[in-house]
Parts: sequence; C-alpha cells; structure tokens
Amino acid sequence: MIAVVSVTGLATVQDGGRAGRMHEGVPPGGPLVPELLARANAAVRNGPGEAAIEVLGAITVAVHGPGGAILVASDDGEPHALRSGAVLRVGADRARVRYLAVRGGLDVPCVLGGRGTLLAAALGGLEGRPLQRGDAIAVGRAPERGAEPPSPPDLAAPVRVVPGPDLDRFDGAALATLLASAYTVDARSDRMGVRLAGPAVARVGSDSGVSTPMVRGAVQIPPAGMPIVLGPDHPTVGGYPVLATVVRADLGTLCARPAGAPVRFSAWTPEGASPRTRRATPGH
Amino acid sequence: MLEAFGDAAWRVRLPEGAGGRAVLDRLRALPRVVDAVVTERHALVTFDPAAPPQGVEAAIEQALSAPASAVSSREHVVRVRYDGQDLAEVARAAGVSVAEAVALHAGGAYVVAAIGFLPGFAYLRGLDPRLEVPRRESPRPRVPPLSVAVAGPYSGIYPFASPGGWNVVGTALGFAAFDASAGAALALGDRVRFTPEPS
Repeated sequence: MIAVVSVTGLATVQDGGRAGRMHEGVPPGGPLVPELLARANAAVRNGPGEAAIEVLGAITVAVHGPGGAILVASDDGEPHALRSGAVLRVGADRARVRYLAVRGGLDVPCVLGGRGTLLAAALGGLEGRPLQRGDAIAVGRAPERGAEPPSPPDLAAPVRVVPGPDLDRFDGAALATLLASAYTVDARSDRMGVRLAGPAVARVGSDSGVSTPMVRGAVQIPPAGMPIVLGPDHPTVGGYPVLATVVRADLGTLCARPAGAPVRFSAWTPEGASPRTRRATPGH
Repeated sequence: MLEAFGDAAWRVRLPEGAGGRAVLDRLRALPRVVDAVVTERHALVTFDPAAPPQGVEAAIEQALSAPASAVSSREHVVRVRYDGQDLAEVARAAGVSVAEAVALHAGGAYVVAAIGFLPGFAYLRGLDPRLEVPRRESPRPRVPPLSVAVAGPYSGIYPFASPGGWNVVGTALGFAAFDASAGAALALGDRVRFTPEPS
C-alpha cells in the first residue's frame, strides 16, 4: 500500500490516457508532461504510461504493509526501496508538476480504458477525485519493462505550432502577434488548459455559437484575446477559434512550465513529412 | 480537404446537413485513427504523427453518399420534471405561459447533433424555435447534474454538476447520461424525446 501522508495543491492518479473515447465527449487525458511520467516510471522499471501520482504542489507518501521494500521513484529518476513506514516527499518547488511512480504501477480500477483521474466527470483514479491525506492506494503488478528514460523537457525551448486551422477567423496580424510575442504562464492554468498572459490576439467577427472538435495543444483565442492552450482534460468540442496548434512533441515542455514562466512560440513546418501530410498543411 | 490541426490531427469541413453518424462510424473504423469526433460542420481524426491514417477523405465521401437508412440510431425517452430555475424566464422570452413552454419543449423530436463539452453531453437539435434563447450572460458556477437546459437552437442534459451558461428548464429523472462502465448514453444521431413528469 502507498499511503498519502500529506498533500498541498492538487495530486491525482494519472496514466498514459484514455484514447478512443473522444466521440463520447471523453477527453484523451494522460499526463501533463509525458516525459516526466515516463522518467518516473522508467526508474521503477514500469512502462512509460503506467498509473502514477501527478502532483501540482507537493505530496508525501508512506509505504505500508507486510512484505519487502517497495520501489518508488519521482521524475528525478532516482529509485528508492522503501520499507514499511518509510516516507518520500515529492514537491513541485520550482517545477509546475512532478510525478511519483511505484514498481508495478498504482492499482486503481481501469475505467473506460484508463486509470487516470478525470475530475470533471469524477471518473477514474481514486474514486474520481484528488488524493488527500489518509488515502491508501494498492500497488499493482505491471510487468517489468526496461526502457531508457526520456530527457526532461527543455523549458527554455520555443513551443512549436502548426498554424490554424481557424486562420479565417483572424486577420493577418494575429499569427504574427502569437509568434513574435513573449507570453507567460498564467496561474489559473489547469489540466484543461494552459492559460497565457501577454499581448492580446485580435479576432475577426464573433463566435459562431457552433462548436467544433478540439484537440490537445489547440491554441484557442477567447474574446478577450488571451490564448488558452488546451490540455489533456480539454472539452472535446469548443466554440473559440483556434489560431495555431502545438505539435505533440512540445506539449510536455509547455505544460511543465510553472506560473510566470516565459513561453515563446515558433512556426513548425513538416520537414521530411510524407506527401500526404504536406498536402494536408495549408500553404503547401 | 484535410486541414492540419497540429501534427497529430486533421479536420474536414462537412456539408450542411450531412449525416454525421455515418461519417463517425466510418472514420472510427479506419486503421490508425486513434480518435474521431464529428460535429455539425466538421469531422476530426487524431493519430500518431509517425503513422497517419490513409483514406480519410474517401471514407467521408462514402459515408456522405450512403443511404441514411444504413445508420443505426436509437431512440431514448427521457422523463423530465420541469422545475428548472430558468423555466419562467424562457417562457417569458418565448411569449408563452410556463405550461405552454413545457409543452413546446416536451413536444420536440430531438436528434443528437454533436457530443462534447462534458463526457456524455449531447447537443440536441429539434428545439421549437420559439424556445430559442441565448446562453445566460454570466454562466452559473454550478449547474446541478441531470439539468435539462436550452441555449440557442439546442437542448441538452448536463451529465455532471458543472459550470454552465445554458438556461435550465428541468431535471431528467431515472436517466444516466454518462456511466463510468458504459460511457455515454446518447450517441451521435440518436433520437431523444422528453416526457413531462409532475413536479
């Protein structure tokens, strides 16, 4: 058993996500920072998407019960063999989000194809809710996987975006504003989206009132012009126009940045992409 | 035409009045499509950027040319207690009595036009035009679960307690809009009727 001794901020069980349910309105879920979840899991010889604790804040856990030591690690990659009664603290400190993984994974029920917590629907994880002091989570028996841990994301790197798909709902200056400006991460960011503060992006016309499909990484522009980049628990449809979309490989570096951290965007072009992809990209 | 939506999704504009369910079913059946979402004007597929699917446009064209009878949709009858806190205001905006507003809402033949916003939340077309009122100017911080609400040309049922800007006209009874083991009760293209229950 892993017992929660104390929590500050928000701690939830998260895993690799719940793909294939978006047509039912279920967002893809998954970790805010896939690289960091994979690092914590690799340190305890789990597969990259095994269920672990994601914490925005700090959590202290204790190992309880008979048997030998339990192998526990955070995304710093250092495994700790903890005997019953031993504790480990993982704190976000200067980071936005940290992970704590256990050899064999956290044994919470698999709901609709995933073990991660979706707070909006009180679904998955531990009773669909944030972890709190006194919780006890069983340890699973996921098979050992040897994998090289990925590097942590580079928090100073520009975040690459594909322009669109709603360029027709902006004037020509909007994309230039997004790509040329310095933004910072707003403290109101959550698993639904990273809110940015900085120069407002001007839109053309008003919202149509008709919702369209959304994806993680979509840079939505609400009426006030402050971008919101959709996160793993985003609504699957939305009405705000999307000026650009963060490429999948850069979702982690964006979501790892704490409140106040700088964000710059750069335009991504599909170097070496297949002709099919080129055809799908406006301007090619 | 496929529009790039990042490097891991494509979006396609659909013709007005297209049969969304047939498009959704065909797209979900394509190899390498991870997720497919169809709304009234767009279809979306997501995929691994290293392995994009093929035949997305052809699948949509086939779905649009197939006869509508090929699509299997279900009909749901949902009992509603018309006790919503915005019912009187909706009736006043429509220029009818509360009893007439209830009859208009319950008399509609609705079709699921899109799903999203929350897991299992269905955008229902078929609302009597007299009941079309805009979203509330400031959303409520908490709309109770199973609230039956209207906004613009849509009606809908909140599966969970949530912040929301729709006008609440009632409460669905004995209806699980979303179930942790079975998923969403309503699917794209399903038909929905409401029957009033005494409050």
